[in-house]
Amino acid sequence: MRKDRILKPKTGSLLAEIVKNKWTYVLLIPGTVWFIIFAYMPMGGLSLAFKHYNARMGIWGSPWTGFENFSYLFADPAFWASVWRTLWINISKLVITFPVPVLMALFLNEIRMRRFSKVCQTLYTFPYFLSWVVVSGVMINVLSYTGVVNSFLQLLGVDEPINFLGSKSKFVPMLYLTEIWKNSGWSAIVYIAAISGIDMEQYEAADLDGATRWQKIWRITLPNILPTVFVMFILSTGNILTNGFDQVFNLQNAATRDVAEVLDIYIYRVTFQSSTDFGFSTAVSLFRSVVNLILLVMADRLAKVFGGSGLFGEGGKREKRKV
Amino acid sequence: MKRGKSDNWSMGSRKKLTAIDYVLFAILLLFAITIIVPFWNVLTVSFSTQKEATETPLMLFPSDPTLENYRYLFNDGKFVVGFKNTIVLLLVGVPLALFLTTTMGYALSKRYFPGRKLILYLVTFTMIFNGGIVPTYLVLRQLGLIGSLWAVVFTNCFSVFNLILMINYFQTIPPALIESATLDGAGEGRTIVSIIIPLSKPILATITLFYGVGFWNQWYDSMIFIRQANKLPLQNVLRSLIQNTEIVTTATSSLAALGQSQYSDGIKMAAVILTMIPVVCFFPLLQKHFTKGIMVGSIK
Repeated sequence: MRKDRILKPKTGSLLAEIVKNKWTYVLLIPGTVWFIIFAYMPMGGLSLAFKHYNARMGIWGSPWTGFENFSYLFADPAFWASVWRTLWINISKLVITFPVPVLMALFLNEIRMRRFSKVCQTLYTFPYFLSWVVVSGVMINVLSYTGVVNSFLQLLGVDEPINFLGSKSKFVPMLYLTEIWKNSGWSAIVYIAAISGIDMEQYEAADLDGATRWQKIWRITLPNILPTVFVMFILSTGNILTNGFDQVFNLQNAATRDVAEVLDIYIYRVTFQSSTDFGFSTAVSLFRSVVNLILLVMADRLAKVFGGSGLFGEGGKREKRKV
Repeated sequence: MKRGKSDNWSMGSRKKLTAIDYVLFAILLLFAITIIVPFWNVLTVSFSTQKEATETPLMLFPSDPTLENYRYLFNDGKFVVGFKNTIVLLLVGVPLALFLTTTMGYALSKRYFPGRKLILYLVTFTMIFNGGIVPTYLVLRQLGLIGSLWAVVFTNCFSVFNLILMINYFQTIPPALIESATLDGAGEGRTIVSIIIPLSKPILATITLFYGVGFWNQWYDSMIFIRQANKLPLQNVLRSLIQNTEIVTTATSSLAALGQSQYSDGIKMAAVILTMIPVVCFFPLLQKHFTKGIMVGSIK
């Protein structure tokens, strides 16, 4: 804090300060223009949720209608179905897929074959860098009737080929599996880093006391990474309304459309596929943005309570300290 | 990818391998196989004829490798156009993104100037609250950008996450260095070009990769903002290729339906491979820089 006071000049008027920093303001111009046009104008455009959109009058000139769009929206059963479906898919997906990278990190750390462990780790992170478009192409190929998985199952004695991606009951489980396949290797990196940050002395002391391998995992490794695990979990809960659109959108098809309509796909459908009412669509957008904001702020607060640095990471923390 | 099968691993410690090690080895190997096999299969299908791909799904190598699928894609105008569009997106988008992020990052890395706190607050606020796709679409429409690659360039050329990485990095540059340059009579512009930029090469490399991958994998904004097929980037062309078969196979769910599809599996998988190649080539760099990024950006 003392440093700040030195940095912040006590003498000199505001104007003098502004003149002194004139080049800083010049540098800010391009970024600020971008933020005004592509971040804050759309945000202002959310006012359309309370208007009846008229193409000729544009966003700002269209007449106000109050909460009319929302009363239509909240009366639409498809909207509520999509909200519950989103929550159900994302919460169950979080619960099921979340432990995988933690276990993966533990396994990769525990195995005594170092080079094998390194190679695996590299391999596991690869799919993360591919888009869901590419991954869906890979999955559709592997999981088709004549794909590798079904052929392999046939060798094992399964008679009927399984329709993995074209069946309603298997759609959500397939989301879990493909999510694990694509992203868990990447998520494991954070835990691997946390494990490598554990003080070696703790293990050495345990060795002297004659601790077994299991005891070391349970008593040293797990308790040490638990705060990281907890913070990661809370931060993931902040996105349960918006996560997974890319995945669902690319893996769905005509057969699974009914069970795949999450909120973002509902927005896409009412906006770009049926007769367009932009006021109505914006009302859904606003609902989504507001609920998401509430969830994110709650997750951020909780994560901070439990010792994490929150959503803005180092940056946010530093800002608060230095300004 | 072949390295996954390598067995010349060395032991990390002198201790004997126990049963647990073999169980862990089996689990980790199994997961590695589930990652390798799908890619290998995509690769072999892309080099085989449709007949072989459907008849021998468990093939290790195509018995009669063919480049026919790749030839088809290069002769098919759509795929080449998509590739060109993605290149344009990268060549225009990444430099613009770097320019915006660097200028704003450098300005905000100053410890104090009037209005700094407000601007930072407004910038980070967009991370947790935004207009969403519909108002963005309408704003772009009013600007006359709908149907043009510029819509995708502009909506993707700034990321607050990258900005924060940039600010943090700039703040590690000792202020004394900048002061001494000023004392030597260098203006702000000269200081940036001859001191800040050379010192910031590592972070510039990281952020270039972040934006590069972002533009390369970008498909959603293009799908919404660009409706004309001849302006769509590679990912969208790939998507339409893949979805094309899918509808045919799911509608009739029989083998005969495969024949009706406009594109064979081989063509589709060749497209998947071509779309993946740049990511494969840059993977070692990507892994290194992204890992650094999440370590700085999330938790420590």
